[in-house]
Amino acid sequence: MADAALELIGLEKHYGGAAAVAGIDLTVNEGEFVTLLGPSGCGKTTTLALVAGFLPPTAGEILLKGKSVADLPAFRRDIGVVFQDYALFPHMTAAENVAFGLKMRRVPSSETAKRVNEALDLMQLAGLGERRPLQMSGGQRQRVALARALVINPTVLLLDEPLSNLDLKLREEMRVEIVAIQRRLGITTVFVTHDQGEALVMSDRIAVMNAGRIEQIGDPAEIYERPATRFVAEFIGRTNLLSGLVTAERGVRTSGGLHLPVPVPDTLVTGSAVHVAVRPERTQLARQNPGQGLVLAAKVRQVFYLGATLEFRLDLPGGERGVVEAPNNASAARFEPGDDVWLVASFDDCRVLPARSASSG
Amino acid sequence: MRFSFARWRATAAPWALLRTFVIFVYAFSLGPILITAAVSFNGSNRSFFPPRGFSFRWWERALAPEWLDPLLFSLKLGALAAVASTLLALPLAFALHRYRFRGQQALLALTLGPLMMPTLVTGVGLLQLFQSLGWREYLGFTGLLIGHVVICMPFAVRTVSVSLHTVPPNVELAAASLGATGFATLRHVVFPLIKTGVIAGAVFAFIHSFTDVNLSIFLARPGQTPVTVKILGFLEFGFAPTLAAVSVITLLLPLVLVAVVERISGLGDFIYGEGRRG
Repeated sequence: MADAALELIGLEKHYGGAAAVAGIDLTVNEGEFVTLLGPSGCGKTTTLALVAGFLPPTAGEILLKGKSVADLPAFRRDIGVVFQDYALFPHMTAAENVAFGLKMRRVPSSETAKRVNEALDLMQLAGLGERRPLQMSGGQRQRVALARALVINPTVLLLDEPLSNLDLKLREEMRVEIVAIQRRLGITTVFVTHDQGEALVMSDRIAVMNAGRIEQIGDPAEIYERPATRFVAEFIGRTNLLSGLVTAERGVRTSGGLHLPVPVPDTLVTGSAVHVAVRPERTQLARQNPGQGLVLAAKVRQVFYLGATLEFRLDLPGGERGVVEAPNNASAARFEPGDDVWLVASFDDCRVLPARSASSG
Repeated sequence: MRFSFARWRATAAPWALLRTFVIFVYAFSLGPILITAAVSFNGSNRSFFPPRGFSFRWWERALAPEWLDPLLFSLKLGALAAVASTLLALPLAFALHRYRFRGQQALLALTLGPLMMPTLVTGVGLLQLFQSLGWREYLGFTGLLIGHVVICMPFAVRTVSVSLHTVPPNVELAAASLGATGFATLRHVVFPLIKTGVIAGAVFAFIHSFTDVNLSIFLARPGQTPVTVKILGFLEFGFAPTLAAVSVITLLLPLVLVAVVERISGLGDFIYGEGRRG
């Protein structure tokens, strides 16, 4: 594909017998912002290190603009990296840090000065160029690290959990700012995080990783609304899960004996063990059985007041548990722990997922 | 307020105890130096303290070739031993810090071994080695240099290792991602960060060499004798005021060196900030 900036083909990294990265295929298009999202130990940071050239892959291919770089050392790959701990050079000023990549490329000093200033301006660091990293706040260091990685105009920008050391407010500001800069420069970016909120807000596409593999790739809405596996459904946001079996009528019979006419993907054959998943904010509580859609008898166990929303924890028949999230508006119904209620959802909001994660590559 | 023994014991007593302790430490470490310095200005022919009369006589003798030559010999030996052991320590400390390999523990033990062993034993061993190899003609400066490098290495390796540990974990990867080759990373990133430690290691090595007597007595030869060995030999004739003057010189030289380096590397310390002092 002509507009692929980065392609990973069958990428693997083993340590002894254990596979940290167990075969990854991923194409990142020119100017795209792709997030590798997963819990710690899922292989996302190892994948990043393989792309950057910090580790040699055990197997597989890495293409940058169609050219293989798997055998190139890191310093010849033309990839910008922002590290979780920023990895600024403590003995250099902010400006010297930013100039480092240009110095290594033997860019003339007048041009270097100009580009360093532009990069510092871009990251709103004008006037701070003479500070040393230890004299700067975490947010400022983060900006220096970004400026340092961007000033060399890399083919691909890699961000390794760059926001995890910032406090909440700053983190939310930086999310927006990083995306704004990324869009403005049109720079192809691979972002690694374990924070689903960051992933949803920032990404063009999200690759959800688990145990060294990609479980699902898609845009944020796709990942959130149409999770392909139970892992994806549970890792991103929260979800109500009902276990059951696919019936011959292409519906699901739950272990509680309910028959649900929910849409079953063609890949799931009759008799497969499945979960029916529905998001808490797509469910409601009702005192009366509305008689249509997904309806489950439930008992309110706990009520949490979250300000903008109310959260109800429910006991479902058969020992399963449920969560309902309701907007906290004037018409919000009041339910108390111990109330007998009905959990209600539209069948359109239900997803049928294989009970065992398909080991898709 | 009434005097409360319990409160005194809880608040004032520890400080009083600490103060007394510190005074003792200083009295015993600074006292001999001050006494020696005073003795060197004796007007008398014997080492009296407090000094009787006043003269520069002993200082004139201390600065005559008889003492100046071994002093310069010691300086030259110490400087070369410091440079050589630091140059050897750099790659060694890198290898020990950076890689995991077979025999690593053995190499470490071998390097740091002389630190644990009485220098006297190392000296006897080296002398016998030189003799059995038929290297008698290398006794004197060359032999001393080899011996001093052996006993100075642990200091240099330790300080370089410690400073390598203070290099932030990802800066080398960051440099590589910015286009720096391994050598450029070493030159522009790693070395500036460990410079202070390397210099400190060299200073330690120099002082260790300059003050050594246990090893040197076995490897010196007439005319190629460090000042410490010369002092030891002279002591057979009693503690003359000349020795007091020589002692003050041999004491001041390392102190001056440390002060100078402290000024330079102290600046470095400032640059790297609190984090490096850890």
